[in-house]
Amino acid sequence: MKLMNFLRDRGLLLLLHLVCMCVAAGFLNVTGYGRTNIVLILIFWILLLVAWLMAVYLQRRKYFYKMEQILEKVDQRYLLGELMPDSFRLEDRLYREMIRKSNKSVIERIRQMEDEWKDYREYIESWVHEIKAPITSISLLCENRRHSLPAEDSKGILEDFYTITLENQKIENYVDMALYYARSENVYKDYLIQETSLDEVVSKVLMKNRLLLIQNHVNADVDCKDKAYTDQKWIAFILNQMIQNSVKYQREMPVFHIYTRRETNGVILVFEDNGTGIPAEELSRIFEKGFTGSNGRNHERSTGMGLYLCRRLCDKLGIGIWAESEYGEGTRMFLEFPISNYISRGEMD
Amino acid sequence: MHIFVVEDEKTIRRELKVLLENAMYQVTAPDTFENTVYQIKEEKPDLVLLDVNLPEISGFDICMQLREQTEIPIIFLTSRTDSMDELNGILKGGDDYIAKPYQAPILLARIAAVLKRTKGMEIKETILLEKKGVQLDISKCCLIFQEQKVELTKNEMKILHFLFRHSGEFVARMDLIEYLWENQIFIDDNTLSVHITGIRRKLKSIGVQDFIETKRGIGYRI
Repeated sequence: MKLMNFLRDRGLLLLLHLVCMCVAAGFLNVTGYGRTNIVLILIFWILLLVAWLMAVYLQRRKYFYKMEQILEKVDQRYLLGELMPDSFRLEDRLYREMIRKSNKSVIERIRQMEDEWKDYREYIESWVHEIKAPITSISLLCENRRHSLPAEDSKGILEDFYTITLENQKIENYVDMALYYARSENVYKDYLIQETSLDEVVSKVLMKNRLLLIQNHVNADVDCKDKAYTDQKWIAFILNQMIQNSVKYQREMPVFHIYTRRETNGVILVFEDNGTGIPAEELSRIFEKGFTGSNGRNHERSTGMGLYLCRRLCDKLGIGIWAESEYGEGTRMFLEFPISNYISRGEMD
Repeated sequence: MHIFVVEDEKTIRRELKVLLENAMYQVTAPDTFENTVYQIKEEKPDLVLLDVNLPEISGFDICMQLREQTEIPIIFLTSRTDSMDELNGILKGGDDYIAKPYQAPILLARIAAVLKRTKGMEIKETILLEKKGVQLDISKCCLIFQEQKVELTKNEMKILHFLFRHSGEFVARMDLIEYLWENQIFIDDNTLSVHITGIRRKLKSIGVQDFIETKRGIGYRI
């Protein structure tokens, strides 16, 4: 609160005093009062006024300073109404009451929305779990039929089963994305950090996608000797997204090189493909939500969610994620797992 | 090996049964769950596959009741993927925890792993396979024909192993490649052809001709 602003705010009061001073001086003059006495009275008057204004100014400044401090410190600023300092002034008390009422309704609204959001998220979670039963049924059905068919005379049906299996896996992937999106808000509820063999996770994800990869004539070369302290499930999800992308944006003779290397500040997992690559001007934006880029528009439908989710999960897990690419040559995705005492660093959340 | 399946979803139960029976397990899969614990104790299976969400009773409870009296290995199958659930399953005495949708080879591998761990059992593989006088030595990773020996690479070994195990029948290329992917060899169609050519050359070098038959569009047979 600036002094000038304060005085400007008190303009009317000052004007009133000025008028009063003039009237009083005129009146005293008419009644034959001595000049010097009038001047003395006016000086005294002004001194009192200035003292009064200063006192009010300081007191108000302190009051608002206190309030600003409270606003700074509190993370939920809508709670101000409850925390406003006491004041003897009627206006302050009235304002306080009103702010309190208005805040209360805001809080109620927020609570209501939080409840709704929680319900919704819980519904999504349970929905995801329910839909996994039919996905499992379809997957098992295809698997069993596929292997019970004689190879010689059922090529067409076999192809159909492959297609169904692949489509089923696409559904599974989309369902997983929804689940992880709903969960990425509260990772702390759902991670199990343990020593993870990256080789095992990579093999698992490749194997899970084997039909897709075999049909796309992919060769993969895995050399992941290092271990990292992280959550297997989340890493598998992230790797899965990378595989989906690499398959989507492949060129002839696709080859994946997946390897780890140990560095001073952790283990780095590199996922390298020889696909179409990403134009340099788009590289910095691939992790943005809904960004599809020229690749996404030219190729199969893309939602722009996969890598966005990857980065979100990585942020929550404290994993570094970035990409390098040469357009037309291929892409390298990097995952950096910080050194193994991650848990003690307490960076979670 | 006897496996007891507790799964309330009809289709999954049926297909699991088929899958496990194809993998040479004996399977019991009841469709009611009132007396599951009692039934399991009666049947004394070698392993229990246990769904977590059952009507009226939770798989965790069944597991706990079983653990009070027996040490039968238990694998949880569930569509819940919470880490808390996973932890819960292990704390309640489960031996493994597999999330739906699982894939057949993964499920079979984990069943085999648990059986191996708890029973010390392993499906005994013969170390020396033989067909038309050609021997495949798995421990030494080589082919032998009339005292002549030729070394094989890891990939060639796996390919031949699969063919030997299915000798007499045509093996679809796709099935062969899938098998390789399940065994951490991630190669495509063309690379497989290259390997087959390599194997044929090696066979020739020890004096074996036309050992691997090719049928266009279908696959190989030995």
